Amino acid sequence: MERISTHQFMILGAAVLMGTTFFPVAAMVTGVGGRDGWMSILPGYAAGIPYGLMVLSLVERYPHKNLLQISETLFGKWIGKIIGILYILITGYFGGLLLGQIGDVFQSSIMPITPISLFYLGGLLLIFYLVSSGIEVFARFSEAIFPIIVIALVLNAGLAIPRIEQGELLPILSEGFKPLFWGGVKVLPFAMEYILFLAGILTFLPTSKQELGQLKTGVWRAVFLVGILDTMVALIQILVFGPTETIRLVYGLLVLGKMVELSRTVSGVESIFLGVWLGAGVIKSGAFFFTSTWGLETVFGLKGLKWNLALGVVFMGIALGFTRSINLVMEISLVDNYLILPFTSVWILTLWGVSRWKKGAGVQ
Amino acid sequence: MRSWLKMLKELTIRPKGERQIRKSPSYSFDEDLNKPISGQTVKEILASSSDVVFREFFLQGKERIPCMLVAVDGLADKNLLDQFILKPLMVDLAGHPELAQVTLANVVDKTLQSLPGLEIKKISKMGEAINAILSGDAVIFFGDSTEAIDIGARGWANSGVNEPVSESVVKGPHEGFTETLRINTSLLRRKIKHPSLRLISLKLGNLTNTDLVVAYIDKIASPDIVSEVLRRLGKIKMDGMLGSGYIEEMIEDNPYSPFPQISYTERPDILAGKLLEGKVGIMIDGTPIILVVPAVLTQFLNVNEDYYERAMTAILFRFVRYVGAMVAVLAPSVYIAVTTFHQEIIPTDLLMSISAGRQGVPFPALLEALIMMTVLEILQEAGLRLPKPIGQTIGIVGALIIGDAAVKAGLVSPLMVIIIGLTAVASYAIPYYDLSLAVRLLRFPFMILAGTLGFFGVSVGLYMVAIHLLNLRSFGVPYLSPIVPLRIRAMLQDTFVRAPWWALKRRPQLIDVEEPRSGGKREGEGEGKGKGKGKGKGKG
Repeated sequence: MERISTHQFMILGAAVLMGTTFFPVAAMVTGVGGRDGWMSILPGYAAGIPYGLMVLSLVERYPHKNLLQISETLFGKWIGKIIGILYILITGYFGGLLLGQIGDVFQSSIMPITPISLFYLGGLLLIFYLVSSGIEVFARFSEAIFPIIVIALVLNAGLAIPRIEQGELLPILSEGFKPLFWGGVKVLPFAMEYILFLAGILTFLPTSKQELGQLKTGVWRAVFLVGILDTMVALIQILVFGPTETIRLVYGLLVLGKMVELSRTVSGVESIFLGVWLGAGVIKSGAFFFTSTWGLETVFGLKGLKWNLALGVVFMGIALGFTRSINLVMEISLVDNYLILPFTSVWILTLWGVSRWKKGAGVQ
Repeated sequence: MRSWLKMLKELTIRPKGERQIRKSPSYSFDEDLNKPISGQTVKEILASSSDVVFREFFLQGKERIPCMLVAVDGLADKNLLDQFILKPLMVDLAGHPELAQVTLANVVDKTLQSLPGLEIKKISKMGEAINAILSGDAVIFFGDSTEAIDIGARGWANSGVNEPVSESVVKGPHEGFTETLRINTSLLRRKIKHPSLRLISLKLGNLTNTDLVVAYIDKIASPDIVSEVLRRLGKIKMDGMLGSGYIEEMIEDNPYSPFPQISYTERPDILAGKLLEGKVGIMIDGTPIILVVPAVLTQFLNVNEDYYERAMTAILFRFVRYVGAMVAVLAPSVYIAVTTFHQEIIPTDLLMSISAGRQGVPFPALLEALIMMTVLEILQEAGLRLPKPIGQTIGIVGALIIGDAAVKAGLVSPLMVIIIGLTAVASYAIPYYDLSLAVRLLRFPFMILAGTLGFFGVSVGLYMVAIHLLNLRSFGVPYLSPIVPLRIRAMLQDTFVRAPWWALKRRPQLIDVEEPRSGGKREGEGEGKGKGKGKGKGKG
């Protein structure tokens, strides 16, 4: 059985949580929170921390079991199976959409003539190689790529500093605190995506008491790291483009990359940044490929190359179904808001509550 | 189709650790090897070998005993045998009162007591006798006695201790290993004069009976890695073992990877350094190349001279090598991607100049690069196999005349020639030949990916290579260690940078080691803060 260390868990968690959220986050929070939207990102992510801690607390009681297996134990076989099927459908569909986003980003920004299916194929190839290499290699891949993503984000934001107009942020909190709340609600599904991944990866985590403490710290660290980075991305976009333009731009960060220019010599470096964003997309989509395979294995006992291939075909089909940027972004947003958020929040809360109740009542 | 696939699978997929080369249906005298010694049988077995010498004589004791000394001409030291074995037995000891009591029953013991020499022992098995003779010893058989005497008389011509051509250094020792195993072990022993240096002898190759020595330092090398090395070597079953390459492919973790997973050296100082880091060396008779395991990617870009130079200059040269390696892999593909898909990256002035240079070139950048790269590979291969002076001429003819003529003929652009030249020079900055071969191999798919999908293709290629590297292990140690899994101390001490010797207080974290490095302490420095704490935590 493969195992990942607590450090790998933290980095992998941060990489999955981050994924490609830096593309839509600025437009999303600015759309509901206006020029103060950036303030809602960190609280929005932080709202996911209790869910992460609830999931990890279940590991203490049910070591080496994922949440689907724990659901079957606590709710009974059939309810557990239904939850499992929903889990597979949601994660599979969402993973396919994220694969679509990889192609969409590349085609819309630097290679408009290249057939989009080639981008899907490239992304899927990487995801497939990662999945067949196992969770340990996936964790190491994140360990290698996540620091590069962070450096690229900081560089991209940093190189845009000369174009900042400070007046874009003022007046602060002119709309009050209410828009910030809705901004936070928009960000919360990102944290729930991470919780869905967490639900499956539990079987690969260490279970000693000390390590569980480290895992919980890892959740905190991952959430705050990603929250701060996304806040920085949103803030810089609002400062450079202004709130109105930030809402209008689907992939604002790519536009920011296009605007980078150093001494009239280095310019148009977004194609280099895109290489890094590809890594981020592969990690996120790969994470959902993993969750789907874990779901299939737990619920139906289906595993192996044949089923992974079938899942790859499904991912490709879903990606091909949404080729236009606005449609795709809307679909991702809908899945986030109306499937992932309600499903995860209700499932985890209920599971944790029932587990606590059964523990209190002395029921196994 | 299905049966064809099944056959392919059977041919290519072997159980891990069970790598065996199909043995040829050669004749075997294995059944004779465990039999008691018989001089007559040995003569029958070896009579057809013209280099084997049979010297028959009589020993006059209580009874007249027929004797036969057998040795291989060229392997055994003739002077030693003449002066210290045959002369005492045939001349000096004749008529000696001790020898007057000799009978066939006690001849072996009496002779052992009488003969001078350090490496003289009694043997009783046919296999021992045959192996000893063919390894360069001399064996004396006494009539029908079932025992014989093995005399360590190895002394053959060897190439001497010279500086290895492929690993020359400016500042550092100028000695290298030779083709003789015993000389190599002595060179190593001169470097590490400590009883914890362990040299375990093995034999490999059913017909070649090649001597091997597994070298490591007890308490520093991980026992797991040592036992794994011995286990994998023990699994090898093949007729011939003629060089390090045979073993390398048989014991490496992933035989289908282009990346080397076992490092090698021809220098005693490098081997000693590696052993002191907790690695294990495999010395093979007949080759000056010593294999060292486990190996990680970054060590293929570090050279021994880094440790002889000052830390600051070593850091600079390491940086140059890392940049060189990146250029060697990516320069042509980045050029193709930029000129074909991403012209926006190029500053306007440079873009105009590239455009002017490419005017009239009939091929797309990808094809242009592929042709030039293929020509470069041909030139490299031709130069390598030819005698040195002719090889240099080929290089000059290829690089200057063909390149210049191709540009003038409008077949390639001048910038492409510069890129290819830069790539070739950069690849020479990679110190290990095996790694530079892997780089040469990877360049072609990268170029094709760049020519078809631009930076997206290059990124996909890079990520594929990254995932492949993350999958690799060398004797259980992750190949990208200490970058991934991250070992900050190892990274800061001796990976991309080389800390000064006084700061290298602990052994590398790549592998489990059992003792701290005690050399990394300045004279008079306190024990407290800087002291190595022992067990390295670098788990694979």
